[in-house]
Amino acid sequence: MESSFNIPQRQSLVGIVVMFTDTLQKLIRSLWPILLIWIFRLDDLNKLHISLGAGVVVVLLGVVAYLRYYNFTFFLDEDNDEFVIKEGILNKSRIAIPLEKIQQVNINQSLIQKIIGVHALEVDTAGSSKKEVAIKAITHDLALALKKRLLESDKKVVSIENTEDVANEKQGTFIQISFASLLKTGITSNYARSFAVLLAFVLTVFQNVEQYLDDYSISQYVTAEVLLQFIVFIIVGIIIITLLINLIRTILKYFNYKITQQQNSLLLSFGLLNTRNTIIKPERVQMVGVRRNFFQRKIDIQDVKIKQASSSDSSSKEQQKLAIEIPGCSENEKDTLLKFILGKIPERGVMLKPNIRKVIIQTLFFLIMPLSIFFTFSYLNISMLYDYGVYVPVYSLFVILLIYFSYRNNRLFVNNDFIIKQSGAWDIDNDFLAPHKIQAISLKQYFWHKRANIGTVKLYTAGGELSFDLADYTKLKELTNYWLYQVETTDKNWM
Amino acid sequence: MENYTNNAIETLDLPKFESVALSPLQAAYYKVMLLNVSIFHLLLAIGAGCAIYFIPQLQLYWYVPVSIVTVLFSISILISRVSFKRRGFAFREHDVIYRSGIMAVTTIIIPYNRIQHVALHEGLISRKLGLATLEIFTAGGNSSDVKISGIDKAHAEKIKQLLVGKILNQHPDGE
Repeated sequence: MESSFNIPQRQSLVGIVVMFTDTLQKLIRSLWPILLIWIFRLDDLNKLHISLGAGVVVVLLGVVAYLRYYNFTFFLDEDNDEFVIKEGILNKSRIAIPLEKIQQVNINQSLIQKIIGVHALEVDTAGSSKKEVAIKAITHDLALALKKRLLESDKKVVSIENTEDVANEKQGTFIQISFASLLKTGITSNYARSFAVLLAFVLTVFQNVEQYLDDYSISQYVTAEVLLQFIVFIIVGIIIITLLINLIRTILKYFNYKITQQQNSLLLSFGLLNTRNTIIKPERVQMVGVRRNFFQRKIDIQDVKIKQASSSDSSSKEQQKLAIEIPGCSENEKDTLLKFILGKIPERGVMLKPNIRKVIIQTLFFLIMPLSIFFTFSYLNISMLYDYGVYVPVYSLFVILLIYFSYRNNRLFVNNDFIIKQSGAWDIDNDFLAPHKIQAISLKQYFWHKRANIGTVKLYTAGGELSFDLADYTKLKELTNYWLYQVETTDKNWM
Repeated sequence: MENYTNNAIETLDLPKFESVALSPLQAAYYKVMLLNVSIFHLLLAIGAGCAIYFIPQLQLYWYVPVSIVTVLFSISILISRVSFKRRGFAFREHDVIYRSGIMAVTTIIIPYNRIQHVALHEGLISRKLGLATLEIFTAGGNSSDVKISGIDKAHAEKIKQLLVGKILNQHPDGE
């Protein structure tokens, strides 16, 4: 199919529906406090006025949606090699993106877009401008054709690309994450968050129960056994609920995860309600992370996180968002991915351990300090606190385990081709970084670390930072010199 | 291909960044730092003076705000002295080194082939003293950018030319 994008064109006509819901969403989002008040006072208000008002709003929104549709045009300026978008009802704006600046074109589909059968096309640029350009309603064929044209300037040899395309289409799916893997991931991941939710919930419930018991002074009827049963029941219930929520979230987000190879890049598509389509180009990948916990190791699944170069303005939070996650990969799939993205499977080289001070500091902050505060207060005749004394061993054990495992897992492995940082107490992360992706290196040493000769190294890449704390400073300096040598002599570009 | 060798590299024989002698900032820049500190504390002192003047209850304890401002001022002076002494920079053949910090000494190194662009700033007071600030940007985010204040203007201009030249040489195809 050869579509011409040389003349300005509008989006699909059904796109008005998308515009309508989008405008409605914005309106509700900005007016929700007022709307909330109106809903509470619904009985006092005149029904006729409400329906009239709602009707007027709907008509107005329709007009706005139509105008937004009517005024939105896009075309490819062949002469200047630019992709141009014109939009705006009263404030007109014309956005021109030079084709060589286009980093990525994503084709996504939200629920509403899925219902009316259109797709959204988002253009991601390397520039510092945060404004993302998006076409909200476009047919799938047109989106694919436009995407191809937009990314064409990257590879100037069109004829070769076409033949390769045909060859690769036969190759088909690269990796497909099965539903079973998603189930496994959903059950085994996000324990930390679930635990926090659980704890907060239990504490509030417990408090309320206590209050309730006090109020009605029926504590004599409630034996310890009943109370225990009740608490166990609640805890089991919450565990099941959080697991279910996790499971549903994972499935909704990553349903039907397909990775296909096209030329030198990977095409990803996933999502049940909102379908996301995105591309991974190995040269744009800055860091790759693999996360796995004890259970996940036993059932051979892991999450792969791919951090690509983002515009320099974005904060680390946004970079987290931009990272592409591939959940539920088996060992084989992980190796295939790593091999494709990094060129080869990274091997662990020379190992670096953090100083034992790390344990001491963490023990001080998370064990000795809180406990001494607790004991001081309970000593100062706040008898209430004595009741909570039973929790002290539980807390201590928990913290000690966390500190011990986070220390044991915190390692840096360096060889000629890769830097691997391992970290985490329960969820163990392995971050892989190729030296030529390094943008800058910083070394930091507090004056009280001088005599122990320890310090912190931080490696900056366009996809985030990697830092290693409290390690042998002499060794870090040596490594820094080596990495600098690697960056300065490499002919590989970071992007 | 026949010239290709891949011998092991003696990491200990590599040039050491830590043994490079760093150039200190221009002595005049210390004046700028002192001036900034003084202006801030002058405003603080004026505030305290107004408070003492207008709040009668405070007049009995006039020495409390006065001593607070004095202590803050002397600590700030001390900090800026340490901070000034700690700062240093060096431009090597292939990278730029910048050291700074008060409690912690941070050394950041940016290879020339990773620099995105370079900016030269002049503040009002710095301009009078012939000083400039050189800012070096990479693609590694805000925290990896280096800002070297208090370089002699002519010197900074020359460094900028050098860096721009290096950047252009690194990307012959205009990438």
